[in-house]
Amino acid sequence: MSLSLCLLAASVLPLFPLGWVFNRLVASLPAGIAQGLAALILPQLGIALLGLVPPSSTWPVSWRYGAMAWATGSALLYALRALSARDLGIWTRLMLSSGLGVVWLGWCAGAPAAVLRAVAVGWSLPGAVALFLAGVLVRRVGGAYIGLQGGLATVMPRMTASLVLAALALTATPVFPAFFALWRGLGSIPLAFVPFWLPLIFLWGWAAGRLFQDLLFGDYRGERVADIGRPSAALIGLVLLAAVVLGFHRGGVTL
Amino acid sequence: MILGSLGVWVPVLPAASALVILAFLRRARRPAARVSVATLVLTLALALALLVRYLMEGGVAAVDSGGIFGSLWLDPLSLVLWAFVSGISLIVHIYSVRYMAEEPGYARFFALLDLMTAVILVMVSAANLLTLLAAWFLVGVLLYFLLGHDHRRPAAGRYAFWTQITYRFGDLPLWFAALILVHYYHSTSLPVIFARIQHGPPALLWGLPVTELAGFLLALAAFARSAQFPLHVWLPYTMDGPTPVSALMHAGIVNAGGFLFNRFAPLFVHAGWVLHWAFGVGLTTALIGSGLMLMQNDIKRSLGYSTMGQMGFMVMECGLGAFSLAVFHLIAHGFFKASLFLGSGDVIGDARAHDGVPPDPIYTSVVERRPAKPSRLPCLVAASLTVVVPIVVLSLSHFFVAEHLFYEQGVVVLLFFGWVTGAQALFAAHKMSQQDPWRLMIGILASFVVIVIGYTLISHYFGRFLYPDEHESLMLYRAASIHELSFDALVLFLAAVFVGGWTLTFFTDSFELGRNLGGAWRGVYLGLYALLSRELYVADVYERISQILLQWSRRLNVWLGWC
Repeated sequence: MSLSLCLLAASVLPLFPLGWVFNRLVASLPAGIAQGLAALILPQLGIALLGLVPPSSTWPVSWRYGAMAWATGSALLYALRALSARDLGIWTRLMLSSGLGVVWLGWCAGAPAAVLRAVAVGWSLPGAVALFLAGVLVRRVGGAYIGLQGGLATVMPRMTASLVLAALALTATPVFPAFFALWRGLGSIPLAFVPFWLPLIFLWGWAAGRLFQDLLFGDYRGERVADIGRPSAALIGLVLLAAVVLGFHRGGVTL
Repeated sequence: MILGSLGVWVPVLPAASALVILAFLRRARRPAARVSVATLVLTLALALALLVRYLMEGGVAAVDSGGIFGSLWLDPLSLVLWAFVSGISLIVHIYSVRYMAEEPGYARFFALLDLMTAVILVMVSAANLLTLLAAWFLVGVLLYFLLGHDHRRPAAGRYAFWTQITYRFGDLPLWFAALILVHYYHSTSLPVIFARIQHGPPALLWGLPVTELAGFLLALAAFARSAQFPLHVWLPYTMDGPTPVSALMHAGIVNAGGFLFNRFAPLFVHAGWVLHWAFGVGLTTALIGSGLMLMQNDIKRSLGYSTMGQMGFMVMECGLGAFSLAVFHLIAHGFFKASLFLGSGDVIGDARAHDGVPPDPIYTSVVERRPAKPSRLPCLVAASLTVVVPIVVLSLSHFFVAEHLFYEQGVVVLLFFGWVTGAQALFAAHKMSQQDPWRLMIGILASFVVIVIGYTLISHYFGRFLYPDEHESLMLYRAASIHELSFDALVLFLAAVFVGGWTLTFFTDSFELGRNLGGAWRGVYLGLYALLSRELYVADVYERISQILLQWSRRLNVWLGWC
């Protein structure tokens, strides 16, 4: 029963290969708000399912280490796959699937459910913003394939700025919550696992760099399109600011 | 108490300026620049006031955030680097006011400059590992956006990406070192960790002392940040960014490796072989950087390779245990290189006005009716002057300032390099054709004496300022030492190599051997030339590796249906 619940959790709190379900579910929803909400809710559902199984501290050590190794491999694989994704929707889903592996690390290390939920939000929140913006692109440009038009910063500066901030938050950049979550996650596992997680930080940076390359630089080649409105940009800014405050709070700074 | 409460404003001021510009002055170009420059003037004034206060009253302060993130450590290293960073940043700000006037995103540029300044100020004064790691990481991110400020140029984006990815690679060992230190010393506070390293029992990880493993990782992080071979490729290519950013980067950001060595000096005392490794890497980088600099025909790229060579020297100094000298070097090089970058536009303008083609002896003789080959000093006199005088001047000056350090291997190697550099300068001066060779030689010798004495005095007193506990300085020199016999053999070997090189250069020049190369030697010469002109193919190797990884990524995605 416990194993079945874990496997069910791995399909919504993505762990390869069961993460296929998460990715397929999100992709099947209409681009935009629906996908963003799914990115927020599904990982929380996975954490709720994990709450139904006995705590990992009661499991044999070899099982726990096996689960850690699985989470590590899964996160690395998704990050590697994100390198070649040029569609913003696919890129975000793969990055999200990779980052949420940290939640599994926390669970294996015996972190309480409240901490796991906060860690998941650290990735889900910017992921949801990026998926929402992918929906905006699909509606206005006809697709979220970033490399197609190039230089979106010149025609959609507010959308680009919001997307850049979301991508930075998604790739565990300080001072966003994912950075602090990663620090705490890596601090709670045996040191032998750390060298396998470090290439992940490199792959995230590489994937973000490739996204920015297509998004920011060069001349825009598409038709004239409207940028997102100031209220939307302000709302995204506030959401990410709230994430920063959450990050500082989790990071241990007294505000 | 005052030091701490005032000190916290030094990084806060530029950060606040950036936020004000982003929130209220995005479309107001002039007010944005004014706010930014005025804030930097205040920051520099505050940093200098704190430094002067420390010089007069002493005392190290800490600003405790109450958590594992955000604490500051106001020790001599932080205070001197605060003054240096805010000084360089102010110069760059003032220069940018007019230089960037016609560029789009003017206010954003100043906001990014302010943010970068704030982050560097936090980095150099971080009192805990998480703050240091976050600031170290953010410098790379902000530098990417500063280098790629001009969105219209894909090349700017490409080279900004190279920088970002190298910096990200360099972040990884720092992450690992930080996690190891927290795991074994149960604290993120740097002073606490250093105290436990000094007084606690030695810890082992995977059969290696923890201090050595952490030292190795920290050195690797420093190498990536300071463009050490083979992690140097990004540095000469960042010239597509705005000139003020190049100045800020070459004068300040790239020096972070030297800072990291100094910040973790109490750890490197217990990691001798890491220092030997750093010496080797620094020496290799200095040679390659200086060599490649001579092959460039683009002034900014030439300056880029010059920076690489200087960073090699800086890391080499750390490898010798002369940590304070590395900080002095980075400050001196920072001001020197900032002035060169900010003046590079004028040099290009002058070059357009005057071609600067070297005089041709036949032209000089026939058209200008001047002797084609003016007199030089006799060879024996020149050889004696170039080889003997520098060693006498260097030894005497150091002997009088700090005799007890004269017996440390690191100091001897530094003096050795001083001798090589001085002799090389005199040798080059001898090769110049002049009407009055004695006058030239005396002028060069006088300059050399002034520089050596000034450098010795400044480095000595600066060392005492940074490391008031002389025992710590001595421990660093001892950690960097090797077996005496090996050391003597190495110095003799290197001396023979340099003297041999000068002799070879002299005869090659005199008998024009370079023009008579034939057969296999010509092939070697051309191969070497191709290797150097392609910058040792390092960038090509990275390019190939990244292509292979991207191919795997694409194949995986196709197999798995992009889900």
